[in-house]
Amino acid sequence: MKAMIDFMQSQPIRNKVLVFGVAMSTIPLLLISIFYYSFVKADLETRIMEKQHLVLENLSREIEVEFSQTFQRIQVLASLHLLAEKQTALYELLQQNESVEEVVIADDKGLVEKRVSRFDLNITGSKEQWFTDDMWFQLQTREKVYGQVAFNQYGQPVMKLAIPFYENDTKKAVGVVVQLQKIIGKISSMRQDHSSYIYLVDDKDRVIAHQDYSRIWQKQPSTGEDVIGVTAKINELNWTLVMEQPKMTAFAPINRMLQSGIGAVALLILTVSLISVWAGLYFTRPIVSIDREMNNLKQGRKISPVKMRRTDELGKLADSFNDMSKELLEKSRLLEQEKERLDVVVNGIGAGLALVTKEYQITWMNPILTGWLKEDRLSLPCYAVIGGESTPCQNCPITCPDMDKIADEVMKFKDGANGERLFRHRVFPLNHAIEKEGEFLVVLEDITEQKQMEETMIQTDKLSALGIMASSFAHEVNNPLATINVYAEDLIDRIQAGDEDLDQDEMEHYLRKIKENTERCKRITGNLLNFSRKNDWMEDHIRVREIIENSISLVEHQLKKQRVQLELQIADTLPVIRGDGLKLMQVIVNLINNAVDALENEGRLVISATTTVDGTVSIKVIDSGHGIPAEAMDKLFDPFFTTKPIGKGTGLGLSVCYGIIQQFGGTITIDSKPEEGTTVEIQLPAERMQSEELAMGNQARNPA
Amino acid sequence: MKTKWYFFFLTTVAVSAILYAFPGFKADEPAEIGVLMIGENRLEKFTGLENGLKDLGYSNKEIHFTVKNARDDEELLDKQIEDLLQTAPDLIVTLGAIESQRLKAELDKKKITIPVVFAGLAAPKELGLIKDYKSPGGMFTGINNYHASISGKRLEMLTSLVPNIKKVHVIYDSKIDVSKISLKETRIAANALGVEIAPCDASSKECLDRLWKTGKEGEAILILPSFRIESLTEDIVKLTEEKKIPAMGLYDFEVEKGLLASYGSSFHSQGYQAARFVSLILQGNKPGELPVELPDGIRFVVNQQTKDALGIRYNEDLLKLAELVHPDAQGGRNP
Repeated sequence: MKAMIDFMQSQPIRNKVLVFGVAMSTIPLLLISIFYYSFVKADLETRIMEKQHLVLENLSREIEVEFSQTFQRIQVLASLHLLAEKQTALYELLQQNESVEEVVIADDKGLVEKRVSRFDLNITGSKEQWFTDDMWFQLQTREKVYGQVAFNQYGQPVMKLAIPFYENDTKKAVGVVVQLQKIIGKISSMRQDHSSYIYLVDDKDRVIAHQDYSRIWQKQPSTGEDVIGVTAKINELNWTLVMEQPKMTAFAPINRMLQSGIGAVALLILTVSLISVWAGLYFTRPIVSIDREMNNLKQGRKISPVKMRRTDELGKLADSFNDMSKELLEKSRLLEQEKERLDVVVNGIGAGLALVTKEYQITWMNPILTGWLKEDRLSLPCYAVIGGESTPCQNCPITCPDMDKIADEVMKFKDGANGERLFRHRVFPLNHAIEKEGEFLVVLEDITEQKQMEETMIQTDKLSALGIMASSFAHEVNNPLATINVYAEDLIDRIQAGDEDLDQDEMEHYLRKIKENTERCKRITGNLLNFSRKNDWMEDHIRVREIIENSISLVEHQLKKQRVQLELQIADTLPVIRGDGLKLMQVIVNLINNAVDALENEGRLVISATTTVDGTVSIKVIDSGHGIPAEAMDKLFDPFFTTKPIGKGTGLGLSVCYGIIQQFGGTITIDSKPEEGTTVEIQLPAERMQSEELAMGNQARNPA
Repeated sequence: MKTKWYFFFLTTVAVSAILYAFPGFKADEPAEIGVLMIGENRLEKFTGLENGLKDLGYSNKEIHFTVKNARDDEELLDKQIEDLLQTAPDLIVTLGAIESQRLKAELDKKKITIPVVFAGLAAPKELGLIKDYKSPGGMFTGINNYHASISGKRLEMLTSLVPNIKKVHVIYDSKIDVSKISLKETRIAANALGVEIAPCDASSKECLDRLWKTGKEGEAILILPSFRIESLTEDIVKLTEEKKIPAMGLYDFEVEKGLLASYGSSFHSQGYQAARFVSLILQGNKPGELPVELPDGIRFVVNQQTKDALGIRYNEDLLKLAELVHPDAQGGRNP
């Protein structure tokens, strides 16, 4: 059954419609036919049996009447003592009963006294015994005696009947020979419908009449055939009449009807099949066409629009398919283009890309990353393959799904083939990822060159600043040197002159002055050296005030030279910040230099440092210079952009500042109004825990 | 492709089913029964046959007769037998001995096997039509009208009816086998009864001429079976009337024509009885297995008018058995 259902389900709709049509047309017809056939069959069987009962009833009555009448007539003749008279009564008996062949009168010894025969001479034989012993014995006790069915000389079935009677107190007997052929012949030859047959069975179970003469005188037949039959008993004779009809022929009319019905059903199935196939084709042709075109579409073959002249649901479906396939093709084309573009990007971006599952398994890498890794160990976790670590990265969004903000800020180092290289490692969660195919995109950028470039830029910028500040430095150093020179010459002159006033105290005074100025020079050059030193990022706790002061010391001469009025507004309780102090000093120096350039001669420069409400440290450099043109505002942080005249700036200053502040995790903003001045604000994240301790330290160092 | 095979298969099944169903509409053809009669006077047998079949439940739908009447012409009979055999009937009913004998000869000659029912003839065994009464064998069966065997009984009936008879002229046909067999039976009975008989061969014209010349009161005529003698009935009636001699025929129609009495099975009853054989054979029995039957009834018919005309007295006892023709004729029974 299941196999059949599976088979049907695997069939095309056309075949299903065909099966449906055939089933719907034939099953009701067959059910009705079966019901009607069963009903008619039962009804027919009842009618046949009723008819058989009727026929047998008539026949059995006829036979009974025949014999009883014969006996009655004999008995009447005997009772009226007519048998003894001549032969009149005997002839009368023959006349009354056509079946009687012969009548005899026998004496008390059973010898024939008188005979009247229908066919033979009425001559009696000498001591002729007419009765069988059995009959004669029965005659002694019974009123009437039936003999056995026997044959006469012509092979005719006959039967003897006899009754006893008294003549002058002598018991005699009258016997008759009854011809049975008429009864038997009638039973045998009576035409019966549909192979019905009647047969008569005597008291010894022998068939004495049968339509089929080959069965006569045999034991009651058992054909083994399934028949409908009834029996009727003839009590006096102990005979049984049987009427039977083979069921095969009894039900022949309805079988013929069934036979005709089969033809009609076959014709109907043929017709319905044709209609069903037409209907199946009519309904499924559009679906088949759509299916074919869909397969073409699926396999990327050329498709042609499904055309049909119909406006029903299938027509609309075909139209929708045409529209959809057209749209799909267009989108596929766009997708192809997009994919091509993406491939170019993915392969040409210069970054390594990988898809990573939640279990840190790499499911895919782009060729660049594969080239970088020089191995294809996808079975290892990503942190092992990429970072060479044994545990997941601390800030990895895979480990910490809630840390979306830093998803693209995680940095990792990896030992490349060409020495140590620096990579930027970012992880992006994918919102529409395919499960088990990587829910995260890892982007690796080789930023070694970028970092080197940045360092170079910073150094270049620093050297540029140093160049700018070179005359100031010279002047700054020159002054103490001149002082040292004056004190030294004066001391030498006085020693050579033998000045007696030059006592030890005065000598110490001279030497102290020389020492002070020497230290001053040392400090200046130290600052200069410190500033100009090329160094890597040195993470440390920074005191903002100190940085600002050191920065000012580098440009102090320049400020004085240009008569810039410097105003410092540094809050007393500034928190410490974390980062590279030298880099921050470079930023402040750059900003002061820019301000000085903007002020040209005379002006006001305010440098402030405060703590903002959100806990960051805000450093502002405010000048009252000529400001920045509005059109230059967007390009201020671009490398090599400058508004300064040639030879005065490299265009790297603000760009370097931006990069350094980014590294601090802070922000830098510039607000400028032409002819009014410029305000540059730097906001740096503070280290809250230690800020109070550091503030206390500041207070201790600067009690005023 | 599968659908095409399905339709090929379905069409084959449908056509087969329709062809199978076709016989369901086909009505049964009636059985073709050929009837052979030597002359018009045996038409009564055919009527009896028709009535018998009708009473057994047959109608024209089941049977169809092809009747061949030879009009007492033996040559024509042979020709008609040929014609009939060409139609290949399902069964042939012969209405007498001559028809049966000629038909058997033709069937044997042409080695054709068609069931034959003889509707009454005398001594079929002696004529070689059957092997045995109980199991006839071959293709013939039917009614032994007992007219040969009953000849002696008829002599007894005649002499019993008219006790004054001294001599009985027995008219037979030396060219008819049955007739000769009947004569033999008659001779045996005559010896038993002590009756003087004088055979008279009706195949020669001299027979009746001699009776015309020698016939006288106290004598009687016994007619033995022969279709030729049957055709002489009217002449014999004239003879008996003229010579005042009683005559015993075989058939009731002879009595109706003027013979004093007849004792035998009537044509009608023989035909009626033969219907049973026809039915049995149509229902599938082999003729060779159907026992030959004696007549269901023997009619003793007496013409009262003839009796009066002859002015004879007869045994009243026998009249109990008799069917009377013109029972109300003047004189009636013996006073």
